[in-house]
Amino acid sequence: MTSRGFFAQRYALMGWKYADAKPRQAIRVNTANAKELEVLKRLEARGIELEKIPFLENGYWVRKAKVSVGATTEYLLGLYSIQEAAAQIPVTLFTDLKDKLVLDACAAPGGKTVQLADLMRNTGMIVALDIEKGRLAALANQLERCRVQNTVVYQLDARRASKLSLRFDRVLLDVPCSGNFATDREWFHRRTLEDVERNAELQREILAEAVRVLKDDGELVYSTCSLEPEEDELNIDWAAKTLEVEPVKIDCFGGIGLTDVFGKKLNCLVANCRRIWPEQTQGFFVCKLRKRV
Amino acid sequence: MTKLMSDFAGRFGASLSLDENLIVERQSRVFLLNNRLKGLVLRDFYYAGVYLGKVKNGVFFPSFPLLAMIAERRANRIVVDERTEWLFVCGRDIFRKGIITVSGSTKRGAHTLVLNKGCECLGFGRILCNLDAEEDRRKVVVKNVSDVGDFLRRERKHHHSP
Repeated sequence: MTSRGFFAQRYALMGWKYADAKPRQAIRVNTANAKELEVLKRLEARGIELEKIPFLENGYWVRKAKVSVGATTEYLLGLYSIQEAAAQIPVTLFTDLKDKLVLDACAAPGGKTVQLADLMRNTGMIVALDIEKGRLAALANQLERCRVQNTVVYQLDARRASKLSLRFDRVLLDVPCSGNFATDREWFHRRTLEDVERNAELQREILAEAVRVLKDDGELVYSTCSLEPEEDELNIDWAAKTLEVEPVKIDCFGGIGLTDVFGKKLNCLVANCRRIWPEQTQGFFVCKLRKRV
Repeated sequence: MTKLMSDFAGRFGASLSLDENLIVERQSRVFLLNNRLKGLVLRDFYYAGVYLGKVKNGVFFPSFPLLAMIAERRANRIVVDERTEWLFVCGRDIFRKGIITVSGSTKRGAHTLVLNKGCECLGFGRILCNLDAEEDRRKVVVKNVSDVGDFLRRERKHHHSP
């Protein structure tokens, strides 16, 4: 069986018929830096046609563009960011971000860090970590371009976050994952189940450390752009069993998390997670966890 | 460090005073913190607060947030038309005909901020000939020193690096 066939068969067992997908280009207006309507007017004047993404507050799909959306003055001035639609969801799931101490544990290249700072209106503090020095330059570039003021960046493995001796009100875990075929044309050729399992193990280590540094009344948002249940529902089921956390209800785009994966019955609360099969967006998985009281 | 900043702002005829206690330097890069960050930031950070610029071989290279801070003050500035805005962010110098208004020093050798019609700071340049003199409108009068198009140039550099 081909690699594509193998994974497509797994998707079928999860209730989704494999179909090729190309996510639409999307932007997010940085409302701390500009009035949304003004940005839209300016982009329209440049021949960029946008369409509101129905499930996002400040997100727009690019319908047509006479110029590259990544090379306008408005982009260079940090008035908006280019950010895939599903990837805009995790940050919006936090409640009350103002003045909070927030950990963005796997932050580079920084799209979600900027989104956090935007929603926080640059109050409080974000601690952004990434293990790879090469990726930190891209993160710093985004922070400078978008005029973020409340963030400290460290080159640090998320599995060592407790070295910071801080406990966080909010933790964003957009963990390193296997990705998905919608954003990587070579995905089926490059990925094996062994990769997926290796990533899932790394994600569990990061999750465990994140729960350690989360305040008792804190919120943790976990997301991947992987469609593989080992990195998604199975990891959350493991966290619910092992880490004294539980997925809480969220109101966002996407189907409910699977509670029966290849015949294995999971904690019923895993249904509170959201699984997004690729179509207009990339494939995505997101959930919000709280410590069990 | 605050002297470095105020000297740099002085090149634009602007006055800028920053709280010395909130300025930190890390590997030749200079950052401005706020009180909350100051209380929590550890020594070995990579980036923190507002990036102000870097010092390389004794020369100070300002960040765009710093230029925007100076632009909020009374400072040498020119406002350029839309076509010139685009050429400038592509790294090009400025022709006389692209300038709409001039404030502050018009003298050759002075530094001036370059703003678009919305008064957003696009970068800065050095005046090549007195701006109040009658000159050929097709002549280059401001040399591009730094522009926000640098973000794209850096992105390409990061993208292509192994």
